[in-house]
Amino acid sequence: MSVPPERLGTRLRGVLPSLPSRDGLVVHGSLWLTLVVILAPVVLAAIFSTQSTTQVYQITNILPGTQLVENYTTVLFEYNFLQFMTNSLVMTTVVIVGKLSVSLLAATALVYYRFPYQNLVFYVILFTLLMPLPVRIVPLYQLMAEIGWLNTFAGLTSPFIASATAVFLFRQRFRSVPAAVVETARLDGVGPLRFLVYVLIPMSKGMIAGVSAVMFIATWNAYLWPLVVIVERANQVAQVGLRYIQGVGSEGLIEWNLVMAAGVLVLVPPLLVLLVARKYLLSTLASG
Amino acid sequence: MSGANGRLQVFTSKWQAALLLLPTLALITVFLYYPFLETVQLSFYRIRVLGNQQWVGLEHYARLLESETYRNSLVVTVIFTVVTVTVSLLLSLLVSFLVHEADSLSDFYLIGLIWPYAMPLAVAGVVLDFIINPQLGVLTYALEAAVGFEFNWNTDGTLALAAVILAAVWQGLGYSIIFMTAALSQLPDSVTEAAELDGVSRLGRLFRVYVPLISPVLVFLVVLQTIGAFFGGFALIDLMTGGGPSNATNVLMFNLYEDAFTNSRFGYAAAQSVLLFGFVAVLMYVQLRVTDRYAYYGGA
Repeated sequence: MSVPPERLGTRLRGVLPSLPSRDGLVVHGSLWLTLVVILAPVVLAAIFSTQSTTQVYQITNILPGTQLVENYTTVLFEYNFLQFMTNSLVMTTVVIVGKLSVSLLAATALVYYRFPYQNLVFYVILFTLLMPLPVRIVPLYQLMAEIGWLNTFAGLTSPFIASATAVFLFRQRFRSVPAAVVETARLDGVGPLRFLVYVLIPMSKGMIAGVSAVMFIATWNAYLWPLVVIVERANQVAQVGLRYIQGVGSEGLIEWNLVMAAGVLVLVPPLLVLLVARKYLLSTLASG
Repeated sequence: MSGANGRLQVFTSKWQAALLLLPTLALITVFLYYPFLETVQLSFYRIRVLGNQQWVGLEHYARLLESETYRNSLVVTVIFTVVTVTVSLLLSLLVSFLVHEADSLSDFYLIGLIWPYAMPLAVAGVVLDFIINPQLGVLTYALEAAVGFEFNWNTDGTLALAAVILAAVWQGLGYSIIFMTAALSQLPDSVTEAAELDGVSRLGRLFRVYVPLISPVLVFLVVLQTIGAFFGGFALIDLMTGGGPSNATNVLMFNLYEDAFTNSRFGYAAAQSVLLFGFVAVLMYVQLRVTDRYAYYGGA
């Protein structure tokens, strides 16, 4: 009785009643409860972001307030979040475009060329997976200070452009291109760049979209490196902007309604990317 | 490689290959290998001001081994990592199982459950900082009204660590659910049918049938989340607790950041980076060994 009908073999289907079982209710009920728990903090934050400072300090007041427009305007213009979000967007765009370009070129060389020490080169690239930011942050900061890249987009983005993961994924994708396609291209006398642009990239659209979505989320959400390399507030990105607006109140009252509005603003871009590119993102993660 | 790949290797010019690889190799040399090796070198020096350094040999490492603060950070990091990974993976497993069991709406549930993957850690930090705030938080208020327990994590170290772990689990759920639901959906229906005809209970089916079958994915997630938690959580701690109260949430990464960029002890911080690298290298090695052993199931 506790067996959902569609789990049984096709021969038994139809023999059992197709009414929703008590069991199904338990499954769906638990899922709804989980959804509510996972969504609640963000929904509450969105509600608080519409309240006045007085309302937000009334603990049990969880009704929408009247200051939606004022709060978001204040955060965007007075607390500079328009600037911070723009900076984040520029950083993210530069990293994605840079990463895709250099990784596609490297993967082309690794798959479609024959040259000495080919495997070694691949492993040298792959080995950088063992060097996340924390194990090189001090010299990296010193390097940026020496070459005058503190407070610049160059300093913000350059450490993130080379990518073992992207090279690895594109290499795998390229290796699954049918040999016949490659052979045709060769017979037509197509050069490597034309081959990349007109054959490989169109054939790898899904993976390029997936890698871009994953990279967008990772780069937009970066916190530690911007905190270290950007000292000038005007050049800061949105994540660290949250630290500023939350820290404003250390002398007095934290305007939590504004902090929540800022949080919602910073959450929206990566969330949109996830929703729009969900299909590609999921299949890229699955192949990694 | 050339065996499986040879038929694809249609271009022969070594110069072109070198040119295509140049951007990646140049970038990893300057921004990955050089700083990484420089970290090792710096760890043997005392650096007060940029450019002024003095050789101290292994002194930083000796000091780290003796330091109460560093040992505390190691313990805090291990607790943070173990609890976060365990709770997060168990919850994700149960939730993914529910999605797998649901006969309808599974796409809708999936979106509602995986979105925290896109949520910046800093957003999770500031939102929970307010929602579970000891004085102002609506959840804290509800909790205290319901069970009469004072959830004052601003002053209680254990509760502060619990608050940070809560935020980390919340933000980390989506990622595990993505992989687990994918693995579960690839199991053949015959497995489920056989278990049900044998009268295996629902939870028995999860833990005795499904878990062994998707163990490669679970092992992959354990290692990845462990490495992530070991390095991660920085934004949460910076925004929620600042490492306090009295170092109760001062994880290794936060300690390193403070030593480097607040106290300007670059050499000492570099030595901490080297030790962090050691921990990660060990974890990665364990991953390779363990996945080798469990790879036979080949579920994903």
